[in-house]
Amino acid sequence: MELLDIQNLSVSFDGKTILSDFNLSVVKGDKILIKGKSGIGKSTLFRMIMGFGKHHLGEIFLDKVKVDSDNIWDIRKKVAYVLQDTDIAEGKVSDLVDEVFSFKANKDAYGKEQLERIMSDLFLSPRILNKEYMKLSGGEKQRICLMLALLSGKDIFLLDEVTAELDVTLKQKVVEMFFDNPQWTVLSISHDREWEDKATKVIDFSGKVN
Amino acid sequence: MESYDISLEGMLFSFLLLLIPIIISYYLGMKLISSIIESAFRMVLQLLFVGVFLTFVFDQNIALLNIAWVLVMIFVASHTVLKNAELKAGKLLPMLLLFMAVTNYAMLLYFNRFIIDLNNVFDARYFIPIGGMVLGNSLRANIIGMENFCSDIQRNENRYLFRLSMGAEKTEALVPYLRKSLGVALKPTLANMATIGIVFIPGMMTGQILAGASPLVAIEYQIAIMIAIFVTTMVNVLLGLLVLMQRGFDGYGIFRKELIRSS
Repeated sequence: MELLDIQNLSVSFDGKTILSDFNLSVVKGDKILIKGKSGIGKSTLFRMIMGFGKHHLGEIFLDKVKVDSDNIWDIRKKVAYVLQDTDIAEGKVSDLVDEVFSFKANKDAYGKEQLERIMSDLFLSPRILNKEYMKLSGGEKQRICLMLALLSGKDIFLLDEVTAELDVTLKQKVVEMFFDNPQWTVLSISHDREWEDKATKVIDFSGKVN
Repeated sequence: MESYDISLEGMLFSFLLLLIPIIISYYLGMKLISSIIESAFRMVLQLLFVGVFLTFVFDQNIALLNIAWVLVMIFVASHTVLKNAELKAGKLLPMLLLFMAVTNYAMLLYFNRFIIDLNNVFDARYFIPIGGMVLGNSLRANIIGMENFCSDIQRNENRYLFRLSMGAEKTEALVPYLRKSLGVALKPTLANMATIGIVFIPGMMTGQILAGASPLVAIEYQIAIMIAIFVTTMVNVLLGLLVLMQRGFDGYGIFRKELIRSS
């Protein structure tokens, strides 16, 4: 079943064309790797799906419904979006977790055991919850962001270079966590080889630049 | 007791003082001289007008006229807030004006009716100057609050978008910004309240003492007005930020950068 359908998407910013007539169709359960040089619109594509950018021609459909300003709020409750830019909060990690799961959409999203399991899967010590988020290393911040996405109970993931700052073992681990679940639909932008082996589809943006 | 009128000669001595900043900016090459002269000139013109106008309003003392004059003050205040916070008026002014009018009129009526216990709550001698004090003092806080909110949401846009992508409603994602901006905006007023009387003798108290009131009456008024200022400031800033949250974002919850006046 077609889950995400992008038709003739064109995006330009400050007169510069970033995406031009881009098409993509994603079926539920797809594991897609998106690769290609930086600055050719890979991240822009994700921003458009999340409704974080404007001025685009073409259309995006999720579950056969055209994405617009009314339903984007529901889409954000279904789609998890994790970025390489992890500057997302100040204060203690546990406060961040509490804040995110105080949102109405996430109220019943996770239990304590699930938190412990995901943390141990990502090699995060429970002590990290009491630390200042801003003082964590790049790799730790990245794993906290992944943890929040995994806890949210969503099954569609947009991952933008989420393994760039992780070591080889963790890269492998994270790829497995996301790509081995047959129920999940995952689009991952990455330069890391680990994703490529398990991807059901690879899109190389370098070939699409006009 | 009687207060001394300042003579024309006295006024000239007052203007003479302006030579000091003019000389300083001349020697430091600050290019401030024309703004100093312009500001002083505007002040004189505005106050002259207000002096004549208020004499008329006080003589007439018609409730409707007093209410209308306070509305003019509220209009100028909300306009000044948006201008100084570098925001365009079009989309924000009507709602801000409405909110500021409601809070300020409500506070004035409460103050005159329950605190001073006036027979005529619209009495010009109270309604207009107290309105001016409350408005004037909340002005700066309003500017700080709105400016802080807009610059924070732009500087830390990533954090805001993160919350949206975690399924937050617009309000849920914006509450941390609201909380912070409101806190920052209230700081000067809180500091004022904590140091009042020792670090500075506020204008209202000075005015009453100069006019011959006993310091004890003056402090009663000062305490009451300070509380009124603080409460109105908080409500005004909060409502101003709510206007921004309501009007400042598009259907996708993205901040409308076009609201910012480009310099």
